[in-house]
Amino acid sequence: MANRVVAWIDQRFPLTSFIKHELTDYPTPRNLSYWWNFGFLAGIVLVIQMVSGIFLAMHYKPDTTLAFDSVQHIMRDVNYGWLLRYLHSTGASAFFAVIFIHMARTLYYGSYRAPRELMWWTGQVLLLLIMATAFMGYLLPWGQMSYWGAQVITNLFRATPFIGDQIVVWMRGDFSVGDATLTRFFALHFLFPFLIFGMVVIHLVGLHTVKSSNPSGINLADKDNIPFHPYFTIKDFYGLGVFMMVFGGLVFFFPNFFIESANNIPANPLQTPPHIVPEWYFLPFYAILRAIPDLLGGVVAMALSILIFSAMPYLDRSRIPGGARYRPVYRAMFYLFVANVAVLGYVGIQPPTPTLAIVGQVSTFIYFSMFLLLPFVSRKEERWLRARGLPKAVHDLLDSEAAKAKGDRK
Amino acid sequence: MRAARLWIGLALLLPALSGANAAEVELRKVDLTYSPEAVKRGAETVTGVCMACHSLKYLKYRDLLKLGYTPGEVDAKRGEHDIDSPLLGAMPPDSAIQTFGKVPPDLSLMALAREGGGRYIFSMVTGFYLDPAGNVDNRVFHGIKMPDILGFSGVTDAAQRAELERTVRDAAIFLQWAADPKAQERRTLGIYVLGYLLVLTTLMYFLKRRIWGTLR
Repeated sequence: MANRVVAWIDQRFPLTSFIKHELTDYPTPRNLSYWWNFGFLAGIVLVIQMVSGIFLAMHYKPDTTLAFDSVQHIMRDVNYGWLLRYLHSTGASAFFAVIFIHMARTLYYGSYRAPRELMWWTGQVLLLLIMATAFMGYLLPWGQMSYWGAQVITNLFRATPFIGDQIVVWMRGDFSVGDATLTRFFALHFLFPFLIFGMVVIHLVGLHTVKSSNPSGINLADKDNIPFHPYFTIKDFYGLGVFMMVFGGLVFFFPNFFIESANNIPANPLQTPPHIVPEWYFLPFYAILRAIPDLLGGVVAMALSILIFSAMPYLDRSRIPGGARYRPVYRAMFYLFVANVAVLGYVGIQPPTPTLAIVGQVSTFIYFSMFLLLPFVSRKEERWLRARGLPKAVHDLLDSEAAKAKGDRK
Repeated sequence: MRAARLWIGLALLLPALSGANAAEVELRKVDLTYSPEAVKRGAETVTGVCMACHSLKYLKYRDLLKLGYTPGEVDAKRGEHDIDSPLLGAMPPDSAIQTFGKVPPDLSLMALAREGGGRYIFSMVTGFYLDPAGNVDNRVFHGIKMPDILGFSGVTDAAQRAELERTVRDAAIFLQWAADPKAQERRTLGIYVLGYLLVLTTLMYFLKRRIWGTLR
């Protein structure tokens, strides 16, 4: 019976061939490490956010006089409302944690290189969409940090030449953050996840064309590819179990860890909190914003600090496979970059002091230097590595790739 | 492997970073562990003393039943108020503004709305002292508008002070409950969820090994 139903569908819709092509026959490098689990995890977190978010929207009221109360209504009166809200608020942090690790893996192993540039760029668009969504969602509880965070960030657009003031009013729907802002942020916060979902589909269509990168950095021969299902479905689900335990630990035992205490005070436009801080995932970029004394310069630097990632496929001129694995200089740069981002995060959360301002400026300089030096460093490094003699492992990789290319031509 | 170590290091670093901007005044260490008795004693203090000025608008009289109050006791407390009406302070906002210059903050979320939570509440309420000029001040919140309602600035007798501190501790435990009344339910459910996930993940692990074991 089941076979007949499938046969009926297959005549009208490519069900079996789709499953075959994308899952049971989909070739995946067998040497993927657990760092390759994070794309799947990001997809799952997106689902958690969308499902919990839709249920929250059934009880939430986007109105400045009701928003804060309606969140408490969800927390206290709605059945398992506290669970929905803590899943959603913790999920936002989990989303960025997973995405940042996913990006770090791409940078470490050089997965952004040809032919995967479009994977990297669609990922970049996804990052920007997720950032916008998180920023707008943070206004909705209408606490002090929600309000003042939105006030500060929308105010940055005042730096736009000529039409700065108009842009800010246009975004807020009012002269300052208010009911109009809250309502439109709610509408857009509801819309954006669907855009993200669409972008994820594009990301995946791209992935299934170029296939997964792998730690060796070359396209593996057919004998080194294994079907996605069952090998990577089970590996992904095992990783998901581990992730869910960490996530569940936070949701059930430390749910207020990621909620700034000032956000449990209702928004008060007449009282600025002593210290306005963005959520942890924006801190490094916020530190870069503050490092530049000029507003326009700071906004441009902050925007560039995110957009400059797109240039990686062109900035990295080395042809040595395996990303940082066989490239000691690039590896050192990678770790320096990660440590430097942590320093920027620290500077971002602290109240500004003269010393920290200098630390922030030096860190910002290092941040951009890493990117701008990369074309020269990667060239020099390649020449040096070739002169020194590539390790045997790299030779074998290059040989096997050459042999494969020959085989393909035949 | 090296990468893994670095990431673990970073993961440990992040909480330290976000905790770095704690309150400047050192808060007192106090054990604020939940117990049904302490919460009920604290509820007595908060409804009897604090609510002379403060409200707890996200709690309803009905919620007191969850703390072990009998319907009769709740009826005595609510007087004319409906059982589903919020816990509002005895002082109307207008007269509060006349007396203090501002409306005293609502206490429902106070244990979440300050850095340090219950410890902040405990340290602040017990933090009243007489400055050299003989004026009452607060070491956690200088120039606070709230009066030293329990008289900490005047009590020097150690036993009496300890007794008062117990009262404040129970009130802080109650306010922690009031800010997050589902905490107990959440932790209980959390243990089941994590237990389930542990079993599931272990099975996944062995299944993964088994499936991958078939590879040449």
